[in-house]
Parts: sequence; structure tokens; C-alpha cells
Amino acid sequence: MTAQLQAIGRALIFPAIAIILAFAVGAVVIVATGNNVIAAYGALLSGGFGSFQSLGRTIGNATPLIFTGLAVAVPFRAGLFNIGGEGQLFIGAIAGVAVGLLLPGPGPLVIIAAIVAAGLGGWLWGAIPGLLKVFGAHEVITTIMLNFVAINLAYWLARNPLAGEGLVPGTNFVPDPVRILRLSSGLGAAHYGFVLGIVAAIVAYLLIWRTTKGYEIRAVGLAPGAARYAGMSVAANGFLAIALGGMFAGFGGGLEALGTFGKVSVPFVSNLGFNGIGVALLGRNHPAGVVVGALFFGGLAAGAQQMQFATGVPLDLSDVLLAIVLLFVTATKLVELLIGRRARSLEAGTKLEGGLAG
Amino acid sequence: MTDHETGAGATTTGGAAPVLSMEGITKAFGDNVANDHIDLDLRRGEVHGLLGENGAGKSTLMKILYGLYRADSGRILLDGEPANIHNPNDAVSAGIGMVHQHFMLVPTLTVAENVVLGAEPSRGVLLDHDQAQRAVTELSDRYGLKVDPKARVGDLSVGLQQRVEVLKALYRDARILVLDEPTAVLTPQETEDLFEVLRGFVDQGLSIILITHKLGELLGVSDRITVIRDGKVVDTVQAADTDERQLATLMVGREVVLQVERSPAEPGDIRLDARGLEVLGVTGAPAVRGIDLQVRSGEILAVAGVDGNGQVELAEALAGIRPVAAGTVHVDGRDVTGLSAGARSDHGVAYIPEDRGGKGLVSEFTLAENFVLKRYDQAPYATRGWLRGSEISRYALERIKAFDVRPANEQATAASLSGGNQQKAIVARELDGDPAVLIANQPTRGVDVGAIEFIHRQLLAQRDRGAAILMISLELDEIHQLADRIVVMFGGRIMGEVAAEGATDEQLGLWMAGRDGENEQ
Repeated sequence: MTAQLQAIGRALIFPAIAIILAFAVGAVVIVATGNNVIAAYGALLSGGFGSFQSLGRTIGNATPLIFTGLAVAVPFRAGLFNIGGEGQLFIGAIAGVAVGLLLPGPGPLVIIAAIVAAGLGGWLWGAIPGLLKVFGAHEVITTIMLNFVAINLAYWLARNPLAGEGLVPGTNFVPDPVRILRLSSGLGAAHYGFVLGIVAAIVAYLLIWRTTKGYEIRAVGLAPGAARYAGMSVAANGFLAIALGGMFAGFGGGLEALGTFGKVSVPFVSNLGFNGIGVALLGRNHPAGVVVGALFFGGLAAGAQQMQFATGVPLDLSDVLLAIVLLFVTATKLVELLIGRRARSLEAGTKLEGGLAG
Repeated sequence: MTDHETGAGATTTGGAAPVLSMEGITKAFGDNVANDHIDLDLRRGEVHGLLGENGAGKSTLMKILYGLYRADSGRILLDGEPANIHNPNDAVSAGIGMVHQHFMLVPTLTVAENVVLGAEPSRGVLLDHDQAQRAVTELSDRYGLKVDPKARVGDLSVGLQQRVEVLKALYRDARILVLDEPTAVLTPQETEDLFEVLRGFVDQGLSIILITHKLGELLGVSDRITVIRDGKVVDTVQAADTDERQLATLMVGREVVLQVERSPAEPGDIRLDARGLEVLGVTGAPAVRGIDLQVRSGEILAVAGVDGNGQVELAEALAGIRPVAAGTVHVDGRDVTGLSAGARSDHGVAYIPEDRGGKGLVSEFTLAENFVLKRYDQAPYATRGWLRGSEISRYALERIKAFDVRPANEQATAASLSGGNQQKAIVARELDGDPAVLIANQPTRGVDVGAIEFIHRQLLAQRDRGAAILMISLELDEIHQLADRIVVMFGGRIMGEVAAEGATDEQLGLWMAGRDGENEQ
């Protein structure tokens, strides 16, 4: 248990440092643009977490990001980079809405069917690069390419077979009983998809760390040579992991469509899948880290609106902050340099160059 | 601790400041002090051996000298003057040349091109090939290196490639040459040739630091030997005044058994039988070209040879990790040619791979997780797809205790263990269940003397129990100590076989170089 606590501590130190450093750099930007740092960050904080409404916005923003973050984190454990969360999310959204619109029956059952369809759609969309990988196509290329296919396929479906009557292009709204319920009226648009996101993170954790399948996935990701030697299939586990990742993104898309919007409009959302990569990086590809990272991303987006409104610091600063955070999170060497040897000793054994035979 | 240094050695020039002094060098990685106030001085025209076990701090010290690491404290003096070496460029300008264990050569370029790479003589914007070749020929002649500057590096033997690395350092006017485990990749004859070349260097005024963990060869070539243990200098001794036993004791810190006692082999039935084996390497080129070998119960068959002659592919094909292109493998009379690694393991084939970190262990996994690498999905370690952490821990602790793996903490990551303890963990895992056949590829590669002794005892115990053991080793010492029979591999074929008693290094060395002793080409 203590080893696990230590692991959590190790997992958190870099993101925490990265965030602090990013805010320090952001402060310089705020001052340079002639604004008051304390007022700006105060507004950012209260806009993200200061009231029930802002908390609701944060949770609402974070919900799809938990899923797209898991879509990156789970395949990463098998050593694969899933850049296809965006497309998998679109497939999930359109699949969920299609079932929500077309399947007759009592609301709760239709909701369940729609969510399952969303997950299944995402699974299939993740399975394609998983399968192609077995034949040698690199998953980064295929997942990126399949994003374009997925987004355009979803838009075509939303504008043609599933087109609605409204002025805004896209599908009709799903019937009210098929909408995901809101958490509480005080929390604005935040819906029960957030709870499902937490559940998904827990499931992902249990799968990866408590099952034999997860053991295989981790072994394959960390040391393919050792995994092969122990009789595991690198290809099959990679396929499973990336399909699972697609499933998570699909759930995220379905819940976003059925919860937040009630439909797939054209255009629908943008960058939720890609921001999932950032969320997973910030969360160090751990399900718990993904939830925290998603809340951070969501809170920053929510707070930035308040900050712009209250102080005139442009909305774009939140993007700048996110960019710097990711820069620091990924540039561990740079952070090591800035905070010195402490971090290096924490990382010793994983990141330190090997090769010093003596 | 350096009281042996007062008398200058026969080939060194006493009086003048040492060409290199490292004083009080300290370097820590986290809590691990790799170098603890190390003092080392190198006299002009001497070969100075740097001896220590893996992890003792030799390479760290040399990386500091070469500017790859910064020392936490201490200083470096060149000819008595403090030197600031912040990066390898500084080291090169100061006349320090390093020949790494792993060569840094471009195989598609010629010798001359490789040598001048990064410091090319130019004619306008073009490389001056003639000038480069002249310079390399001149150097090569002066130091007796006998390398053709026009040859493509990829076509050269490993021994010659090593000379190209040496030439690179000489071309950059190295006065101090550091060689890191240079003999690891050489046949016994090539080793002798190299040492002859090194003696020639010191006669011309160069100074050499020779890093190794092999005791015997250091005595032959060094003037003085500095022994490092746990990051500290234990002693600096005159090579002429010491012997292997004393060096081993200094290196390990206790009396060492250099030769594990063994009883005569009592070979029984054939347990491992490979016929007409052909295996492709990673590039798709044939790596094993038709090998027949049989290993009997109760014997150790050693496969000698220079690294990269198909040994890895042979081991992996026998273990079931690499498919065979042709031929059959039988274990206890049963055809296992088509079986996977997992299935062969169930038939009693155990395998100690040559690459601990990449194949034998998942470095980031805990020890507990690593101990069940081949049985994580079997009861009692898993039920219905769920891992049972407590059972896994219990089993791991039991094996850890039985094989004295340190630290005795099953939750420590494999990466945090020393090489010797990692290897003991692998051996502990593979020997559980008393395998019928054990394939051990370099079972003691890069581990400390204590662990070598332990692993050798375990291998002999398995042999005496009746296992058939195929041991691949690059170290002739190890082969002489353990083998009952020896075969030598070269270019994917077996060059010859000899009973362990009658084997001489000369004969083995000729086979290792691909020459048939009887029909000299």
C-alpha cells in the first residue's frame, strides 16, 4: 500500500510543478498585457471553482475529457499512442444519438442502449487501427487519418439520413426521456455523464492494475521483449488496448451528445479528443490523474470566461496556460533543471539514462 | 590508501606531474553515491587498469572525465593544471579520447570518413578525401594499427572496428586514451593483439586507462591497477606485485571462490535435441545456419563464441520465442518445434535471456509482478481473470528468500535492484519447478562476483539434479569453469566441439575467429 501511495506521489509531482510554473509564466504574460495578476487569477479561480454554477461548468467541461483522456491513457499502457480520440468521440456521439432517435421504448432502456451503442461505435473505430497495427501500420498515422474519416462520416450522417428539421444543421434533439439527467439544477449543464466518467476511470484502473489482462497490457507496453518471452501476444494486447481506448472515447462522445447537447449539430464539438491527449499527459496516463487533469482543463476553460469578463484578460490566456503546462509536463528534463536534483532522484530508475555499467 | 604509489613503475616517468589527476571526485545520483572522493592519477606512458565490479562506479568516473557528467565535488588536473571539462568537446580538446564499449561508427562510411567525422579536412565545402586518407594511413602506420582507410566500416570485424574507434581518438590528438571494457567483444587472440597495440601506444608517450572487470588480462597489460568498490578507491597496486586472488579480494571486499567446486558430470539421456536448425535474425538474414546439438541430462553444454554469431537467435529458437526456418527441436523426445514459448515452458524448458532489462524482466514492474511473469494467469496467482496480489507477494517473498535477492522487498521495482540481484531474481523464477532443459544465455553477464558464484552454484545444482543445460557465454573463464562439453559458434555454424578437459584457449580462439585449426586458410 505504501508503495502505491509513493507511486501516486511520484505521479503527481511533475504535473503539480508544471502547473505552478505555467501560472508563473502566465503571470508574466498578464503583467505584460497591462493587467493585474491577482485580480486575473482570482477571477480565473472563482470562474472555475468559486460557485455552484462555475463548478457545474467545470464539471461539464471535464466530463468528455475524462473519457478522451482514458482513451489515450489505456492504449498508452500497452505502448500505443491513440491520437484518434477525436474521431472515436464523433463516432460514439453519432451512434448514441442515432439509437436515441430511432430506437423506440422506455427512456431508461433507450438511454442504456444509446450509451452502449456509443461505446461500441468507439470500440470499432479503435479496433480498426488496432487491426491495422497487426499488419504493420503505425497507430499514430492510422488514428490521425481515421479522425478525418470519422468526423466527416458523423457529419454526413447528421446531415443526411439523420438530418433534423431545425435551422441549425444536424440531427433532431433526442426525446427528453433519452437525455442524460442533469446532476442538479444548481450545477447548470453538468450531467450524470460525469459520474459515469468517474466510474469509467475506476473500471480502467481495476482493469489495468487488478486483472490478468491488464497485467499483460502493462507488460506488453513496458517490455515487449519480456512479454513475448513470457508467452504473451504483443499484437493481441495492443489491439485490445486501443479498441478499449476507442470505446472510452465513444462513451465520451455519446454522453456529450445525449447529455450536454441532446443532438449532433454541424459543427459539433472541437478538440475534445485532442485535449484528451493533454489530459492524459497531465495525468501521467493514470486513471486518477486523468480525472484530475480533466477537471483542471475543464476548470481553466470555465474560469477563463470569468477572467475575460471581469478583468479583460483575453480568453486565449487559458490556452496559453494549457500550452505551457503541457510543455512543462512533457519536458521533464526542463523541469528537472528548474527544480534541481530532487526531481531527478524521484525519477531515478525510470528516466535516468542507463548505460553506466560501472 | 595509495601507499603503493610512491615507487614509480618501470615504464613510467617518476617526478613530473601526472598527465592526469582526478582528486576527490564525488558524484551522487539521488541517495546513491556512485563516486565517493575518488583519487586517481595517470602517469605519462602508463597503462592504468581501472578494476571494479559492475556498479562500482568505474563508468561514472570516466563519464565525469569525458564531460558527460558533472562531478558534485572534486577536481581534474591535466599536467598539474586544473582543467574545466564541461562536455565531451572540452575533453577532446584537452587530449582525452574515449573508446566506448558500444562503438559509435557509421557502418556505411569508410574507415577514413568515420575517423575524420566531425573534424573533416575540407577543400572548400567538400570533404578532402585524399587528405583524410593520408592522415588516417599515417596514424595507422605510426601506431601499427593495420587498418585500411578505404575499407567500409560495416565490412570490418569487430576487432578492426574497435581500432577505428581508437583511430578516431588519435586523429583528435588524444594523449590520454580511455578504453571501456575493450575486450568484451574480442577473441583471445584479438585481445592479445589489442594489448600489443596498447603497449606500442605507451612506448610513444600515450597514457591509457583500461576499464575492465576481467582480472587476468589486466595483470598482463597494466602498469598499475586501481580497484574501486562501492564508489570508493580501495587501493592502487603495482600490477607486478599482485595476483588475481588479491585483486578479486580487493574488488569484492572478501575472499572469493574463483572456481566453484564441481563433481564430474554423469550424463544421462538426451533431453534437448536440435537438428538441422536454421533461424533468421532480426534483419531477416539467416543467423543460425544449420546447427545440430544434443544436451543430455546432467551435463552442461557451453556455447562459446564472439558476440553476434547467432547465439541469441539459437537460444531464442530453442526457447520458442523466435520461429525456426528449418529443423526440429525435441525436448525429452517430444517434438516442440511448433510450440510457443509458453507451451515449451509448460514442457519444462526454462530460459535465462541475455538481456535482463529487455527480456528477462519488466523493469518497471515490482519484483512480485516479475516473479509471476510466466504464471500470472495460473492459480493461485489469479482467479477468474483477477490478480491475487497477496498470493503473488507471498510466492515472490518465498523465492526472494530462497535465492537471497536483495532488497528482500517484493514491492521494489526490478529496475531499483542491482544487476546481480536482478539476475538472481530471473534465475530464481526460471529454476522454480525444476526444469528439464535450461537455456542460459550469458547467465552472469554484467553481474558482480558474488552473484556469479551464486548463479554458478545454482546451475551446477540443476545439472546434478538431472537438468540438461545449454549455456551460452562470451567469457571463456566461465566456460572453463562450468562446461562439460564446449561447442564454438561462428557465423551461425558450429565450428567445432571439444570436451571441457581438453579445451585450450588457442583452439577455442581459432574457432571463435571462424578458422578451422586443421585447415588453415
